[in-house]
Amino acid sequence: MFGKLDLSAVPLSEPIPLITSAVVILVALGVLVLITVRGWWPYLWHDWITSVDHKRIGIMYCLLGVLMLIRGFADAIMMRTQQAVAINAEGYLTPEHYNQIFTAHGTIMILFGAMPLVLGFMNFLVPLQLGVRDVAFPTFNSVGFWLTASGALLINISLLIGEFARTGWLPYPPLSETAYSPGVGVDYYLWAVQISGIGTLITGINIVTTVLKMRCPGMSYLRMPVFTWTALASCLLIVAVFPVLTATLAMLTLDRYVGWHYFTNTAGGNPMMFVNLIWAWGHPEVYILILPAFGIFSEIFSTFSGKPLFGYRSMVAATLFICVVSLLVWLHHFFTMGAGAAVNTFFGISSSIIAVGTGVKIYNWIFTMYGGRVRFEVPMLWSMGFIFTFIIGGLTGVLLAIPPADFVTHNSLFLVAHFHNVIIGGVVFAIFAGAEFWFPKAFGFRLYAGWGKVAFWCAFIGFWVTFTPLYILGLEGMTRRLQHINVPEWGPWLYVSVVGVAILIVGVVAQVVQLVVSIRDRELLRDVTGDPWDGRSLEWATPSPPPFFNFAVMPNVEGEEAYWGIKLRAIETQQLAPEPKYAPIEMPVHSPVGVYTAFFATVFGFAMIWHIWWLAIVALVAAFAGFVVFAWRDVHEFEVPAEEVARAERARRASREALLRKLSEEGALP
Amino acid sequence: MSNLASDEELPTGVLDNREDHSPGDEPLEDAGHWVRHANLGLTLSILLTAGAFFLAGSNIIYGPAVPIALIVLAIAQMGVHLVFFLHITTGPDNTNNVLALAFGILVVFLIVIGSIWIMDHLMQNMMPTRMEDMMQMQP
Amino acid sequence: MTETGLPASVEAIRRVREDPHRLGHRAHGPAEIIAGAGHGMTGPASKRIIVGYGFWIYLLSDIVVFSCFFAAFAVQRGATAGGPTMDQIIEVPRVAMQTAVLLVSSYTCMLSFAATNARSRLWTQVFLAATGILGLVFILLELQEFAELAARGITPQRSGMLTSFFGLVGLHGLHVSAGLLWLGTMMAQILVKGFRPEIVHRLICFNLFWHALDIVWIGIFTIVYLMGAG
Repeated sequence: MFGKLDLSAVPLSEPIPLITSAVVILVALGVLVLITVRGWWPYLWHDWITSVDHKRIGIMYCLLGVLMLIRGFADAIMMRTQQAVAINAEGYLTPEHYNQIFTAHGTIMILFGAMPLVLGFMNFLVPLQLGVRDVAFPTFNSVGFWLTASGALLINISLLIGEFARTGWLPYPPLSETAYSPGVGVDYYLWAVQISGIGTLITGINIVTTVLKMRCPGMSYLRMPVFTWTALASCLLIVAVFPVLTATLAMLTLDRYVGWHYFTNTAGGNPMMFVNLIWAWGHPEVYILILPAFGIFSEIFSTFSGKPLFGYRSMVAATLFICVVSLLVWLHHFFTMGAGAAVNTFFGISSSIIAVGTGVKIYNWIFTMYGGRVRFEVPMLWSMGFIFTFIIGGLTGVLLAIPPADFVTHNSLFLVAHFHNVIIGGVVFAIFAGAEFWFPKAFGFRLYAGWGKVAFWCAFIGFWVTFTPLYILGLEGMTRRLQHINVPEWGPWLYVSVVGVAILIVGVVAQVVQLVVSIRDRELLRDVTGDPWDGRSLEWATPSPPPFFNFAVMPNVEGEEAYWGIKLRAIETQQLAPEPKYAPIEMPVHSPVGVYTAFFATVFGFAMIWHIWWLAIVALVAAFAGFVVFAWRDVHEFEVPAEEVARAERARRASREALLRKLSEEGALP
Repeated sequence: MSNLASDEELPTGVLDNREDHSPGDEPLEDAGHWVRHANLGLTLSILLTAGAFFLAGSNIIYGPAVPIALIVLAIAQMGVHLVFFLHITTGPDNTNNVLALAFGILVVFLIVIGSIWIMDHLMQNMMPTRMEDMMQMQP
Repeated sequence: MTETGLPASVEAIRRVREDPHRLGHRAHGPAEIIAGAGHGMTGPASKRIIVGYGFWIYLLSDIVVFSCFFAAFAVQRGATAGGPTMDQIIEVPRVAMQTAVLLVSSYTCMLSFAATNARSRLWTQVFLAATGILGLVFILLELQEFAELAARGITPQRSGMLTSFFGLVGLHGLHVSAGLLWLGTMMAQILVKGFRPEIVHRLICFNLFWHALDIVWIGIFTIVYLMGAG
């Protein structure tokens, strides 16, 4: 009846997951009770859960990402402290538990922390920057988000029911085959990642179509903001390589569930084929993360230097160069496979060459600041910290791209330090910078800068204190994923690393405090103009937060930096453009199909993990039925009457006119 | 400037259908046009398929060249499908479709050729230890 | 707290004026509009084109899934583990039949869309039904093949080569089956709702899907069957 599931699946003997789950469940119950008592359900249901508004979905993506970042960070704290106390000792984590933690840490940080955040930014910003009202497929957008969320849910269920994989964040066979991982851990990994991967693919298709087919009049390719360009490149990579992930995991699933021989080490299976295919996805995946991060930094450098981005077209070219070459480097993850000189040379050279594209970008950012009027706001601090950190991370990456050097440092902490250096220094810094930058656009008030600066300095210093020792330990020969250490000389460096983690914890606390303080003082921090940072792209032309239809009248773009041109004209003539004729707007209706599908996807995944076949079939049929009902609906869009559009637009114009008047009175205008 | 700027009756700026084209769609033509199109596509496909099956089963060409001939025929037939069934053309209204296709083909080739090349190197630095391995090394 | 707002722009205007070269920002190419929303400047495309293009992108990603299974087959085709080899499991006449059936179904599928464009419900349904029946025949032939192989003890569990063979061919069969499910749903929708715009959009997508499956089959019958038999 319940397949492999019975009471023994709950790890009663292990206090850490048990207590954690209890706390999480209590907090979740508390939140649910609060929502019920306050009567927020109708609001949540209509305005968020069933929303197909790209801005709402973007914000929900970011919320999911932040929650998962915290979960992943908790795993990181446990790993660092375990290694510090387990020097010639057992430490406080058993090997089985420790292995689950490093697997969960990698999987969660990349696939459920960084990916949702990056996708959230793309969802929120791309339509606004293109001057259109929604993405190409709003309802599928909701489906994509909720599938990602159900993957995250499955991973977290594994904490309480059963176990998680002990294979590392990429479950290499033959270890991940049934013979060596008979438990449900790898199955949790497979279904969670598979379901969320499909969600990511949907979003990728959506954004590619939006950018290529839905731009406001006059928004030619070479007038698009760089963030939109990077979102396009990133989503092209999603479309190109997430299917590889789907296929590879499907093969491993077939091996595990029906005894096939794709990757077994018996009967003609080929474990290295898994490594080959998974990295054909895995390497482009890191560029999927970093390219939008580059886009975020480009927007910030240009805005806070008060200058157009230096070398806009070289930036676009570098982005597309990275997009294509990132498909050609995957073997550098397994140079030690023992391929011949031809293969190693090819992939070594292509891995080094891809740094050229990044180098172009770094110089462009530096030259953007050169001669500019740089404002050291919090987003700018993160961006400058990024340049410093990312250059080091990139350089150690080029070291690892050289096969003979890689043979020595492969699987060492040097590698661990390298990819944390680029992912934290690149992606995470970009996320924090972007959050600070676009927060007023999303919520209508700025974040309190003081705590933002504390958070930045703690993260920046904490990062280096944590990971510099790991570089050194790696060069001294310490490999990754060690549950205990038998070399006492490594101890001091591991202690230093723990100090770094402590500083990082202070940074995380500062972020939370910043959020709380900002919400408390939101009236003081209110952004009434819609353009708090003196921005340059079209999202700043909307009020903060933007109305659900984004633009009352679709903008007509006449050059690069669309909003900058509009703003200059208003300042020079000291008046806004003449009021246009307002027309009714068609907007897509909200739909529960996303959350419905995701619910049954979660049930399906859970049923497959525990071999509850009847439940899996029921869930599949229910999901299909949901789609048929959705396809049968008669109302797709509703009309926003012209009067409502006019009202929203007139309020926006009034606030902008007030600003112009104020500036004029202060004598600030030319 | 945009042609919509002068036309105030199109507030949402939706493009005319004839200026752009999605794959698989059939632009407005007279009724028989697409049927003739399909007929031509079917005829060419039948010829190419029959050719492939015939070549595979006969000794009419040099043996080692058969796989290459088969692949050429397959690619030709895929092209026929793209042109006659999916209506992918070289017109300006099709640029995006062709670019997407080219990107897709690039990815497919990288993955297939890359995997074959890499996996071919799997045992290159190894001494075969078992007979089975030695057998596997044979192409 | 920050002291920003428009004064910085005024400063910036001055800077722009002081930088006549506009490094990296010189005008590019001809300024006139290029026809076609995809690469021009004329605003969003129509829903019909957006849907067709989005599905086109999806199809390309689906082809990438197939390419992984093709790659696995290419790598493992020699890994017979002492079991049967390719030429022992292939029956060319059945494959020829399957190929013919699928090709004709692609043709009827296209005719159905020509009928849709002529707004003929009857002929659309007739040709869709023909497509479905042919697809069903294809699936039955494939099932027959798999059943016969299984009866001879030739299953995917036997060897890496058989795993990759059944995986690739089975994945295609799974797609065809999913297509049949979709086809049935579409026919019911046309029956109940007629040619509403969103249904025509879905028919465009179905057409693309079906033709793409035929394209994949060309790869399969060439590489797996014809080259495997030789």
